[in-house]
Amino acid sequence: MTRPTLDCEQVIAQIFDYLDHELDAERSEAIEQHLHQCKSCFSRKEFERRMLAKVGDLRREAVPDALNERIRGLLRRF
Amino acid sequence: MAVSRDFFESQVLDLLGCLHGVARRLTCHDADAEDLVAETVERAWRARDTLHSQEAFRSWIFRILNNTFISERRRQAARPQTESLDCEEDGDEAEFSIFEQLHQPFLLWFSTPEQAFVDGLLRADLERALARLPEAHRMIVVLSDLEELNYAEIADLLGIPIGTVRSRLARARCKLQKILWQQARAYGLKAAQPGEDAAEHPGRTRALQAQPEDHGGGS
Repeated sequence: MTRPTLDCEQVIAQIFDYLDHELDAERSEAIEQHLHQCKSCFSRKEFERRMLAKVGDLRREAVPDALNERIRGLLRRF
Repeated sequence: MAVSRDFFESQVLDLLGCLHGVARRLTCHDADAEDLVAETVERAWRARDTLHSQEAFRSWIFRILNNTFISERRRQAARPQTESLDCEEDGDEAEFSIFEQLHQPFLLWFSTPEQAFVDGLLRADLERALARLPEAHRMIVVLSDLEELNYAEIADLLGIPIGTVRSRLARARCKLQKILWQQARAYGLKAAQPGEDAAEHPGRTRALQAQPEDHGGGS
C-alpha cells in the first residue's frame, strides 16, 4: 500500500490528533515522514508539544489537608 | 458489579488529587471545589452498582463529578448562570496560534521566540488563562491535557461524539493560546518584527500578581 504524502496544511490540521496519539499507525507515519523533511512543521509540532506539556504540569498539586480529612471521614461512614 | 468498600476507598484516595484538581478548575472557587469533590464521592458511593468494571472507575467517577457540577450549576438560583455550558462557535480563536504570531523561519537554527514564550510561561500565567476559558472549553482542556483522558473517554464522559471532542478540544487550545497571548501583550510583550533584535523581545511573560482588570476575568 502506498503511504499517503501530506502537505504542510494537512499536517498542521492533524497536529493535535498526532500529539494526542489519536491517529492510526498509517496516518502517524505519514505525518512523521513529513516532519522529518519539513523544519517549519517540525518546529510547530515541537511548540505545540511543549505547550501541552506546560499545561499538563498544572496537574501536579497537593490535596488540601482539610479536604483529605473530609473525604476520609466520609469514607469511614460508608 | 459489586463494589467493595475497600476497593472504593482505595480508588477514591488514589484519585483524590485529580478529582480536586478538576473540581478546582471547573468551579474556580476553592470551597466550591471541595464541596464538589465531597458530593461526587457521596454520589459515586450511592451509584456504585452502575460501575461496569474496576478498570472503568476513573472515567466513571469523573463522569459523576462532571454531572454533579452541571447539576449544581443549574440548581444555584442565587448565582445566575452567566454563560452557557454549550460551546458557541468561535470566531478567530478557532485558529489562533502563538506559533504563528512569533515564528520566524530564519531563526530556525537559533533561539526561537515561540519556544522562549513557552519556556517563560509561569504556572500563574497558565492558571489565570485556564480560569478565563469558557466552562465547556475549560472542562475539555482539563480532562484531556491535565487528566490525560483520551478522546473516547472524554466523549463517553461528556456524552458527545468523538468528532465533537476533537473539534472542541482544538478550539479550546487555540482559545487558551489567545488568552495567554493577550495576557502577555497586556504586560508589554511585543512580537519581534523583521529587522528587530529578537533578544529584545524574549517572549517572556510575568506572573500576574496585582494585575489590572483587562478583558473580563473568568469565574
